[in-house]
Amino acid sequence: MRNRIFVYALCLAMLNLASPQVAQAALVGTLQAVEASGTRAQDLALVNSALAREQVRGQMEAMGVDPSAVDARVARLTDSELRSLADRMEQMPAGGDALAVIGIVFVILIILELVGVIDIFKKT
Amino acid sequence: MPVSTVSRGRAWAVLALLLALLLLVGCAGPSRLAQLPAELPERVELTATPFYPQTEHQCGPAALATVLGAAGRNADPAALATEVYLPGRQGSLQPELAAAARARGLLAYETGPSLSDLLVEVAAGRPALVLQQLGAGPWPYWHYAVVIGYDKARGQLLLRSGTDARQASRASWFESTWERGGLWGLVLLEPGTLPARPDPLRYMSAAAALETAGNPDAAKAAYAAAVALWPKAPLPRLGLGNLAAAAGDWAEAERWYRAVLADDPAQAAALNNRAEALVRLGCPDAARMLLQQGTVHVAADDPLQPVLQQTVRDLSAQVAATPAGAAAQCTQFTVR
Repeated sequence: MRNRIFVYALCLAMLNLASPQVAQAALVGTLQAVEASGTRAQDLALVNSALAREQVRGQMEAMGVDPSAVDARVARLTDSELRSLADRMEQMPAGGDALAVIGIVFVILIILELVGVIDIFKKT
Repeated sequence: MPVSTVSRGRAWAVLALLLALLLLVGCAGPSRLAQLPAELPERVELTATPFYPQTEHQCGPAALATVLGAAGRNADPAALATEVYLPGRQGSLQPELAAAARARGLLAYETGPSLSDLLVEVAAGRPALVLQQLGAGPWPYWHYAVVIGYDKARGQLLLRSGTDARQASRASWFESTWERGGLWGLVLLEPGTLPARPDPLRYMSAAAALETAGNPDAAKAAYAAAVALWPKAPLPRLGLGNLAAAAGDWAEAERWYRAVLADDPAQAAALNNRAEALVRLGCPDAARMLLQQGTVHVAADDPLQPVLQQTVRDLSAQVAATPAGAAAQCTQFTVR
């Protein structure tokens, strides 16, 4: 009898060991809980992370990121970051240029000069 | 025809004026710098902040290197570019900048959306990475800079920006560009250190992201600091429980989850995870009982309901395959 209980317990333990991902999937991660408490939205995507990961990977390669660096860059992003990038990578603000602004101001000044609104490039 | 030339010229003038107005609109109106709380000093300048002049399109890596350097993680902007620069967009995206900081073991905290939220961190000695929108209308130009100080009396913000080692911006101009940039500011903290004005959700979001960065020790320090500040808050203790679970210490994990539920039985994540911990501790009956008694407290529209329901189903399947009779050590969990 004692042996039988021992065998049952052993079987149970082995079942547990054999299917770690099933048990693991049942835990709510901290970040997931943070997101859930920040929203009451029904459409909170809890399962689309794998898809988003693939989309971001593809977009990064299409945007010229060195393929050898893509995996590492994707791996560091959180699930919610991946989802927002997957949706909006083309539109998200990509900070890059300050110098172009000076150009724009210059173009506007030239236009204003040409149409005679201002007169700052006068030679005489 | 002369008439059409004139009207075209007039159209250009109107367009140009509109653009100029859009650019200058930020200069109108009073700055909120004068309305900063009195607890903020009159003048701050973090002169020790390093400076990395940007090369073409590379303001993201340069600004990131600046705040990393100030946080004691010296990094070369050129090397950072391989981590955060997107050639196809000729720029860098906010999540990747935060991720690069997290990868170096730093907590990347997003400041609140007000000038005082931003400057209170600067006053606490942390330069803030900000996103500005410097263009206008159909020509948006996004730019990252680092706020290193301000001067209330002069109405100025002090920045490391682009190729300027010290840019003194009119506060109202900075505010308008920052506002159009989405009021986004990022400060980097050593895990365990709290921001000057911590927001529970933004702080926990930054702390939990350290787990994604593969840095459980940093996450643990950040959670522990949050537990000290907000002892009754559910998320920091849930985080410590999850870290214990990830390390295989299900008994400790169960204690954290139980503590969360003792203060708020409606916490779906803690309920779900405590049930899982009980199963791992060999007490599926206790887990099933916990869920039976606990799920009634969870709101029907809770975003975690699907997860919780799945756990209930998994557990009933598991319990059916388990020999009856709870082990002696499980009785402690069933006493309520």
